[in-house]
Amino acid sequence: MLKKFLTLIIVAVGLGLLGIRGGLSLHQATSVTIFSASILGTLFFWSFRLTFAFFGTSILLITKTIDLDNIIKFASLEVILFLVGMMVLVGLLKDAGFFAWLVSLILRIPNLTARKFIIFISCISALLACAVDEVTSIIFIVAAIFEICDYFEVDPTPFLIISVLATNIGSSGTVLGNPIGILIATKSGLTFEDFISKAFPLMLVCLTVLISVVLQWYKKTIAHLQRQMDELGANDILVKLISVPPEKELRMGLVIFGATLFFIALHHRLELLLGLEPNTILLIVPLLSSGSVMAWKWRKAREFIEKDVEWWTLLFFMLLFAQAGTLKYTGATDVLARGLVSLAGNSLAVLIGIVLWISSIGSSVLDNVVLVAAFIPVIQGFQSLNINLQPLWWALLFGGCFGGNITLVGSTANIVALGILEKERNIHITFFRWFWIGMTIGLLTTCIVWLALVFVPLYH
Amino acid sequence: MKVKEIMTTEVTTLSPEMSAQEALGVLQKMEISGLPVLDAGGKLVGMFTEKEILGSILPSYIDKVGRFVYEENPKSTKKKFSELANLKVSDLMRKTVVVTGEDTTLCEVARMMLTQKIRRIVVVDKAGTVAGLVSRGDVLRAFTRESES
Repeated sequence: MLKKFLTLIIVAVGLGLLGIRGGLSLHQATSVTIFSASILGTLFFWSFRLTFAFFGTSILLITKTIDLDNIIKFASLEVILFLVGMMVLVGLLKDAGFFAWLVSLILRIPNLTARKFIIFISCISALLACAVDEVTSIIFIVAAIFEICDYFEVDPTPFLIISVLATNIGSSGTVLGNPIGILIATKSGLTFEDFISKAFPLMLVCLTVLISVVLQWYKKTIAHLQRQMDELGANDILVKLISVPPEKELRMGLVIFGATLFFIALHHRLELLLGLEPNTILLIVPLLSSGSVMAWKWRKAREFIEKDVEWWTLLFFMLLFAQAGTLKYTGATDVLARGLVSLAGNSLAVLIGIVLWISSIGSSVLDNVVLVAAFIPVIQGFQSLNINLQPLWWALLFGGCFGGNITLVGSTANIVALGILEKERNIHITFFRWFWIGMTIGLLTTCIVWLALVFVPLYH
Repeated sequence: MKVKEIMTTEVTTLSPEMSAQEALGVLQKMEISGLPVLDAGGKLVGMFTEKEILGSILPSYIDKVGRFVYEENPKSTKKKFSELANLKVSDLMRKTVVVTGEDTTLCEVARMMLTQKIRRIVVVDKAGTVAGLVSRGDVLRAFTRESES
């Protein structure tokens, strides 16, 4: 513990001192030191990450590295409110039985075969991650996988790994899939339609690659599952294992959720029609939906806000965004941006590669929100150098999402799914059991994205 | 009235090394829903209750999935129940135990039970050794006696 803490201090202060030697001002170096300490804090002391964020932000204010007005501005309240609204909505859907209903649908797949099962769980994992967030979706997919694997008496681990890989890929498809999606959308001005027309198709290509690879990779596992399916017969018990009464509440929940998705999808057109600032509708739709939920279920309104909203995480995000904003405020990220452009030799293709691979490899060990929050001001810094930012935003999104597949601690979805596996089946996955398939998929999909961003004009 | 006047002093305890199945047998035999767990030195290390057993048999994610109805019994529950023989009491017991002193008042014990949502509280003496067990029923019976006197 002490060793890790000392490493954190030495690295963070060292980076600041190195920055001063490299020409950074004292305020720029302070912002680099504090942000590095927060990043290392999340890496070494995950449970204390909010403590680091509180201390770090206080130091930035005391040292006058940033003022109060700007720290509030950079805290990105709009992103936080969007996430609060979506979390309340997901709370309602859970309460209404929507996710259990999805699980029951998976359990009722007609004429189930092993290959069909792999394709189905991959697709539904990716699509559900697109519609709600990846952490919420993985819980329900894992629940369905466990029930099916229990029924056919097979090890659920390979199927769980496949579903997590698909979830991380799927989370890049829309602004809703991952907190970095909405963060990038608000900072870049990219709309939901941009995500649907550009990120979603590329996500589908990567999902297809994933399915093709895992069908080969887990050939023996699939053959074993098929033998068990042939032996144990149709999944009669699974079909009627759980039920969700189609009550008014579930229907109403589906209507609210559908309307939310509909208006989020149309936000850009509505903003143009009503003459509103970019992303205004995108940000208020979850608030209107969750407001409706709280008006309808007013007795449970407090419960939705207190239990379904992850305040711990959101508070951490706010302070992290403020600290990353300080890097921009002091101009430290502009210095870094100029350095990266010079490293890339003014080549956009190389710059896309740098952003993509740093965010991908970085996300395999760090929380992708931390990484993306740090990278956003750097990419904004490229603007003054007359560089086309659009492919860089996509590189950041895909790198941040796909990098999570490389290691077993790469994303929250991985940690949640493996935690359930350990608790439920007492199965501990070794680092390398995950790493070989995770790295293969991570590298393949990142390469596909790199090629697409460099050669397909749609992304420019 | 104080806790020491109403608590059960003859407390059956469980060992952390005992198998969970064996411990369940003790609970069923005594028709009680939970018992304290003491280590070899007599130190209170946990509480083993029916709730912990049910929690280990049903999937841990059921509360996260939301509202649904089990129309059939999943295969996993039967398997997990049979695996209780391979689990120790220490694997399932609740490690954070709410305790109180012998001189605690009736109302304070009732308050602890309500606010911390617990059925019974372990009473310890000044040395920290288990001196008794007080249940919701004991508290209510004491209140009844007090109101009648």
